[in-house]
Amino acid sequence: MPQIFPPSWNKLPIVAAIAGSLGPMLAVAGVWYYFSPWYTDVGYRPVQPVPYSHQLHVGELGLDCRYCHASVEISDVANVPPTQTCMNCHQTVMRDSELLAPIRDSAQSGRPMRWIRVHDLPDYAYFAHRAHVTAGIGCVTCHGRIDEMETVTQMTPLSMSWCLDCHRNPGPHRRPVAEVTNMRWTPPRDVQALTAQLDRERPVNPPTDCSGCHR
Amino acid sequence: MNRTYWRSLAQIEDRPEFRTALEREFPEGASELPEGITRRDMMRLVGASLSLAGLAGCRRPVEEIVPFVNAPEEMVPGIPRYYATTMPFGRSAYGLVVESHEGRPTKIEGNPSHPATLGASSTRIQASVLGLYDPDRSQTVRLKGAPSSWTDFVTAWGELSKAHAADGGAGLAVFSESFSSPTLARLASDLRARYPQAVWATYEAVSDENRLAGLRAATGRDLDLVLRLDQASVLVALDADPLLTDLEMIRHARGFAAGRRAGPSGGAMNRLYAIEGVYSLTGAMADHRLRLESRQIAPFLAALAARLAPPAAGARPAGADVPGVDARWIDALAKDLLANRGKGLIVAGDRQPPAVHAAVCALNTYLGNTGTTVTYFETRDAALPSMSSLASLVSAMNAGTVQTLVVLGGNPVFDAPADLDFASAMAKVPHSIALGHTVDETSSRAEWHIPRAHYLESWGDARAAGGTLSVVQPLILPLFGGRTSVDVLGLMVGDKERPGYEIVRETWAPILGDDFDRKWNRVLHDGVLAGSELPQVVPTLTATPFAELASLVDGAAGSGRPDAGSAGGLEIVFLPSPSLHDGRFANDGWLQELPDPLTKLTWDNPALVSSRTADMLGLASGDVVRLDYESRSLELPVSILPGMADGVVALTLGYGRQRAGRIGSGVGFNTYTVRSSRAPGFDRGARLTGLGRTYPLAATQNHGSMEGRPIVRESTLAELRSGPSAPEPESAHAEGTPGALGVYPQETEHFSLWQEHAYDRGHQWGMTIDLNACIGCNACMTACQSENNVPVVGKDQVARQREMHWLRVDRYFSGDPSGNAEVVFQPVPCMHCEDAPCEQVCPVAATVHDAEGLNVMVYNRCIGTRYCSNNCPYKVRRFNFYNFTKDTPDILALAMNPDVTVRARGVMEKCTYCTQRINRAKIDARLAGRELRDGDVKTACQQACPASAIEFGDLRNPASRVVMAKADPRNYALLAELNTKPRTTYLAKVRNPNPDLEGVV
Repeated sequence: MPQIFPPSWNKLPIVAAIAGSLGPMLAVAGVWYYFSPWYTDVGYRPVQPVPYSHQLHVGELGLDCRYCHASVEISDVANVPPTQTCMNCHQTVMRDSELLAPIRDSAQSGRPMRWIRVHDLPDYAYFAHRAHVTAGIGCVTCHGRIDEMETVTQMTPLSMSWCLDCHRNPGPHRRPVAEVTNMRWTPPRDVQALTAQLDRERPVNPPTDCSGCHR
Repeated sequence: MNRTYWRSLAQIEDRPEFRTALEREFPEGASELPEGITRRDMMRLVGASLSLAGLAGCRRPVEEIVPFVNAPEEMVPGIPRYYATTMPFGRSAYGLVVESHEGRPTKIEGNPSHPATLGASSTRIQASVLGLYDPDRSQTVRLKGAPSSWTDFVTAWGELSKAHAADGGAGLAVFSESFSSPTLARLASDLRARYPQAVWATYEAVSDENRLAGLRAATGRDLDLVLRLDQASVLVALDADPLLTDLEMIRHARGFAAGRRAGPSGGAMNRLYAIEGVYSLTGAMADHRLRLESRQIAPFLAALAARLAPPAAGARPAGADVPGVDARWIDALAKDLLANRGKGLIVAGDRQPPAVHAAVCALNTYLGNTGTTVTYFETRDAALPSMSSLASLVSAMNAGTVQTLVVLGGNPVFDAPADLDFASAMAKVPHSIALGHTVDETSSRAEWHIPRAHYLESWGDARAAGGTLSVVQPLILPLFGGRTSVDVLGLMVGDKERPGYEIVRETWAPILGDDFDRKWNRVLHDGVLAGSELPQVVPTLTATPFAELASLVDGAAGSGRPDAGSAGGLEIVFLPSPSLHDGRFANDGWLQELPDPLTKLTWDNPALVSSRTADMLGLASGDVVRLDYESRSLELPVSILPGMADGVVALTLGYGRQRAGRIGSGVGFNTYTVRSSRAPGFDRGARLTGLGRTYPLAATQNHGSMEGRPIVRESTLAELRSGPSAPEPESAHAEGTPGALGVYPQETEHFSLWQEHAYDRGHQWGMTIDLNACIGCNACMTACQSENNVPVVGKDQVARQREMHWLRVDRYFSGDPSGNAEVVFQPVPCMHCEDAPCEQVCPVAATVHDAEGLNVMVYNRCIGTRYCSNNCPYKVRRFNFYNFTKDTPDILALAMNPDVTVRARGVMEKCTYCTQRINRAKIDARLAGRELRDGDVKTACQQACPASAIEFGDLRNPASRVVMAKADPRNYALLAELNTKPRTTYLAKVRNPNPDLEGVV
């Protein structure tokens, strides 16, 4: 009677063992990365109705963040500006640009612009811009170098563990409040001295409890 | 009933009248399956959409940001704004401060500067914001049921007015609710000037006509009164409910609670006597309560007057005894009143006849209470309710002399007395115009229906009781193009459309005088016109204030004790609903699901009887009976309420609406169908016959006993004064009253299984609830519902004990269930235990403690095991058995608080101590560069409480009010023996019985 299993099948247990151990590890690693906000959210760059360039307006022209996002220091929400804010300049500058047609339409018709949200927290997370900006957390810390972006892109995962990394140790992420909107600010050589000084002047105690952000 | 509150949508959508509705709630086909779809196709579709949903879940949903085109000045996204306005309610007016998020009103609070609210609110005020977003509100003008437009109506009115102008308005009739408003009064008098022959009827189903008539009889003037309960040491409520159904309940509750609170802190404590047939909330708060049928109030009052009125007055009535009442009771009451001259107060209920009110006015005057505990004012700018005006309107309609009827709000087809038969009289009127929030019973029969604007959409004004003027200021443009009664009257007076804003300002021009705009803005900002109270009137009594009382005494003779079969029959009493009032709030889910303070029943209005009466008739709670009264009858269930007088059947008004909307239609039983214009308050001669059927009733609390445990602790003032410590627990196993400061000492006599948190830094939140002040009115429950987006679940779910209220008010009976049962109330929110049993059993750490002592619930972690709820000794956790908010009409999302997560199916939820308010206050203080102060954080329940029974604050701040409250010897923790260390504690109730009445029943 011929053998049912040829000799090559003798390797089967080893192959099975290797595949059995590598497979789950790969699966775990795959889920770990591909299901995380690092993969799903970072780099999100939707096409906006008007290709507003932060690189041009902030990087080259030097507009302050708060010219448009005026409520960032007093409200939980950093507002997206009303059409009127665009028209403040663009009724004289680039008034015939094809790209700005939707803005002019909006100003004329009274129909609001519909921008696509880039930095989108889940609805059960309550983030307060005012609390962060006035505590010396720079715009760049969460939003990246907006002044270098032609199109706004999400640079950080905005995940809970990412939030908590800072909430547990805010010191190194803080800067003088006057420098909050400064995109090019770099920490001084002696970071620890600055941190100590900031903690003295305005101690912070960011919540790490669920109720800090979830209501 | 339907499984959930909103599932009734589908059913009602199928009804023909809704099919033909002008605008469907959902697009065609969205709410029903397309024809010809098989089950297999269905499964495939569902499967496909599920997998698509799964794929889409990897990527964020695309969300838009839609900014303004031109941002309004001072409106900052994310920062709520607060505006003062006024909620007119009959002849009362509630001054409010309304929170508005990006232009949508979401939460209503009382205005501290307004005398009728004093910063607090009531269930109806809280729930009125839901009424604004009611998807069943009428959305268009209708002509004979078909959609029309306001412009068409203006044209049509032009034709009508020409015809009426010719004969001085002889064929014109106006039906109005009662109001107290300078603008409406001005327009009404303009209307009378233009159409002198027109008929004007003012009607309220829940009317204070008797009181006004009584005061007129006693003083000869048109007066109304304001009660100052805070000034009163001895209060006597005669079939009256100043603490709940009275429109001025907020200021009454505040004043009453002040007098209650004074006792334990060493001052003089007030004493409340209630004499009543039904069980009112006032009766529940009484130190002495006498069960007496409504018709026996007059003899009782005569007996009291015989002891109180000065003999020189010559008007002292005869009759010193009331059958069935121990004379010592009346003696003691009279003695107490005489000993507290100028500090006593007698109040009669609005359903009592005018003669009773006249006598009460006289007695208050003899006792020197006028000007201190009760003050009188002229009624000004008011339309006073009058049953006779309604009767003459109806007879004019029947006689065919009315060509045009204008219904300026109100719903007479539903709530007018049955014997007047308003509906068939209305059918004889060629032209009828009805202003209504919904296409209700009246509007659906009218030629023209005009959608009525909500008060949060209206310009108007109002005069509160006592005369304080305020403006009704809109917070939002009319959502559905509604019009106000000012708009309609303005059109009738001037024949052209004028904005309500202009009309109101025109009224106020002479009131404010020079520098109008500055003063006007001040009024809008403050919510009241300072100094606009009317001067007090000290009335002079007519010679014979007791004259009418004698005939009532004779009429009441033959006090039928409960023998229901006897000649007189049962006494029938009509009660306003604590939730729905006269039925106008029937489509408000919050109010429908709000349990009645005493019966704890939701979504229904059974007839209430005492247990002895029920026994006599062989009835049990839930049995359906036929009620026969005069020539009319009604089938409805009965419910036994301990403490009712025997031989009384009480019917609650406002239920059984046919055309209220998707929530309120067909809920409960229409008791107006047996009410007569002759006796709208109470009468004899009702009969109940059991029909051998039962009807399911949904109560939130089916068990009224504490089972011997000291859940509510109470004491008497005398005991409290003599004893050094807290009222002794009645049971041996209750011990461990927390330490004087709210934060617990680390060592207690109990051995703890758990590692203790220190809770020694930052803020440590805690709460006290003063059971001595709490009147059980439920305002806290509705405030919590509004603040925390608590869903409504429907009758069927309530019957399964699945109601979602984060804060409930427990009601316990004590004493003889067939006699004079006493009642205590206990609001129970989450206790925020320091050693929380819920946290220890959660397998996924979805409920955990935060550093400030809050027991927090993490919705996203919750997998719905419900172990936490099983292990909670206080049963304050609520589980979302269904997705209660998923299928609600979109517009209801506007009523939601954006600062609070809306929970989905399958998660547990519970009181958070309003953590969103804590966070907001903390960040606000931080930005202002200061420490959080006591009072910066107010929970929704605390802010709404008319009795100020709730204190909330930081236990580590020794100067905070909550710490002071916890230092009170009456402070105790609920089920302290479990060593859960609750942060919410209670202050024991204190009663103040009259020593002379010991042993007198």
